[in-house]
Amino acid sequence: MSDITTVLGEASVQVEFDESLYPKDAIYGAAYVFIDRCYVHLDRAADKRIRVTLRAKSGTLTDGEALSGELQNELLGQAWRLSIAAENRQLIESLTARALGGAAGPPGLDELLAMDIDEATAFDDPLGIAMSWEEKYKKKGSDDAKDEEAKPEGAKAAEAKPGDEKPADEKPEGAKPAEPSAEKST
Amino acid sequence: MIELRFHEELYDGFAIDEAVKLYGPYAAFKLSRQDQGYVVQIEPLAGDDPVDPAVVAAELMNYALGKTIERARAATDIAPEATPAEETA
Repeated sequence: MSDITTVLGEASVQVEFDESLYPKDAIYGAAYVFIDRCYVHLDRAADKRIRVTLRAKSGTLTDGEALSGELQNELLGQAWRLSIAAENRQLIESLTARALGGAAGPPGLDELLAMDIDEATAFDDPLGIAMSWEEKYKKKGSDDAKDEEAKPEGAKAAEAKPGDEKPADEKPEGAKPAEPSAEKST
Repeated sequence: MIELRFHEELYDGFAIDEAVKLYGPYAAFKLSRQDQGYVVQIEPLAGDDPVDPAVVAAELMNYALGKTIERARAATDIAPEATPAEETA
């Protein structure tokens, strides 16, 4: 026995079906399709049964049976679309979020100001990206010599590696304790 | 007089109110609440050229349905229903 009942009238057609066959949103969707051609009314015919009444706006129905069939097809189509939308909801939401995130572009001035940047984090440059080329690839020879001259003797001794230290017996006799080179020049 | 009945599970009360306000200039309406539904009674306005209350009733019916559907969809968009995976979790 079919769960769908159709009553054809002169000016209207009534389609009655079990509510459990189609979700409420599918019924709404199907009714909405006919709203421009017909006067549509929804009612509860009995417990768990819904009646859709379509009445032609022009006054007389030319083909009520076709209209009824169209409504039933539309109900099925809407129910199927809802099912697909529910299945893919998570994917659609994920894609939309990614698209919106990409479209947002680089951070603006307000976002940059809101960032937590202080002296410690702002100049943290472990890869040496912020260094100039000269600073990064300078020649060891001339610059080092200048630096060495400017450094005090004590600092030189402290910088020297353990392996580079000369043995005590190789020290020249009468070597004085290290003095800053700046003091020497004066 | 024409009487329209809208089941409360299928029609939104606010949508019916809005429809009655919209078509207020064309007919006299009386709204009431009866068992499981909203009842709208429509009578023609007194005047030289009154609008057919049957047409007003039919248009009101469509407007109320359209508005109900719009409101239902707006509510669904704001708070989407839980997916089956979420329900089982």
